[in-house]
Amino acid sequence: MAQLRAAAQSQPATDEAEQDDKAPDTKLYEELGELARFIDTTMKTLSEFSAPVSTSTEQLPQALSHLTNLKTMTEQGTHKVMLEVEAIQDNHIKLSGMLKELTLALQATQAAPAILQQMHAVSNAINADDKRLLDIMTALSFQDLVAQSVNKLVTILREVEHKLLQLVVVFGPYQKQAAKQEQDKASQMLKQLEATKNTSMDQDLADEILKQFGFN
Amino acid sequence: MPADPNMKILVVDDMSTMRRIVKNILKQLGFNNLEEAENGQEALTKLKADTYGFVVSDWNMPVMMGIDMLRAIRADESLKKIPVLMVTAEAQKENLMEAVQAGVSNYVVKPFTAETMQDKINKIFK
Repeated sequence: MAQLRAAAQSQPATDEAEQDDKAPDTKLYEELGELARFIDTTMKTLSEFSAPVSTSTEQLPQALSHLTNLKTMTEQGTHKVMLEVEAIQDNHIKLSGMLKELTLALQATQAAPAILQQMHAVSNAINADDKRLLDIMTALSFQDLVAQSVNKLVTILREVEHKLLQLVVVFGPYQKQAAKQEQDKASQMLKQLEATKNTSMDQDLADEILKQFGFN
Repeated sequence: MPADPNMKILVVDDMSTMRRIVKNILKQLGFNNLEEAENGQEALTKLKADTYGFVVSDWNMPVMMGIDMLRAIRADESLKKIPVLMVTAEAQKENLMEAVQAGVSNYVVKPFTAETMQDKINKIFK
């Protein structure tokens, strides 16, 4: 546009040039018209996405809920396994104590070495299982990594939800050819959305926005 | 000096499963005086209220991150000598330099084994 303006200023002031002088304005006018038409077409195209976008926006809270449930379920399952592992660990402590006492008693009665060897073998087996139980326990730390990944997904989905709702608010009044009052309300909602950008959005606000634009 | 099995250890993590895992490992390693906190802020409150010999802390937590808690510990005259073992996820390895600069005693990358925990504790209390 600056080039057009510069071109218009550099025209010589002759009769012929006066005619040419109008040419850049006409060209500018045509370009502006084309630009307006392009924007209009783009707006129409984008507003056609409004319905599917709102459907996605409506479903996003469900997706967030599924993810949160996934985290809760893995957490509950992990605690259940931990509870059992801890119960076995406690039993092993008791068993080891009993074995120790039994071995000492057998030694006092001068029991056959084969019996004492068997007692020793049982004790070793318990110790080996303790090691396995500890391995199970540490392996359960996968749940923490799952939870962290889920939290990241939830953050991304909330961001997407924000963006989609912005699209609904921006193109909703355009599609409905809404009155100025309604467009002002849309601007207000955009501000509200912007205010919640760095926090988790109030679900009531999301529902209200969708409701305002005819998506219940 | 080897680690005192009776010293009070504070396990800091926002995930209850991780707190339980770390406490279980420490118990199997012979430590029985174990306390827990859900974030850095709660940990600082507990550390100031009692005498602790060792802190095992997660990095990524709400309210107060592990790194911020570590800086607060090192800045506090009464707490600055407490060894802090930082537990971090693989993706946060690049943050370890930051932890070293803040005065971390050692670190463990998740998921870790009991042997790794034992090794780190041995190195801290050697």
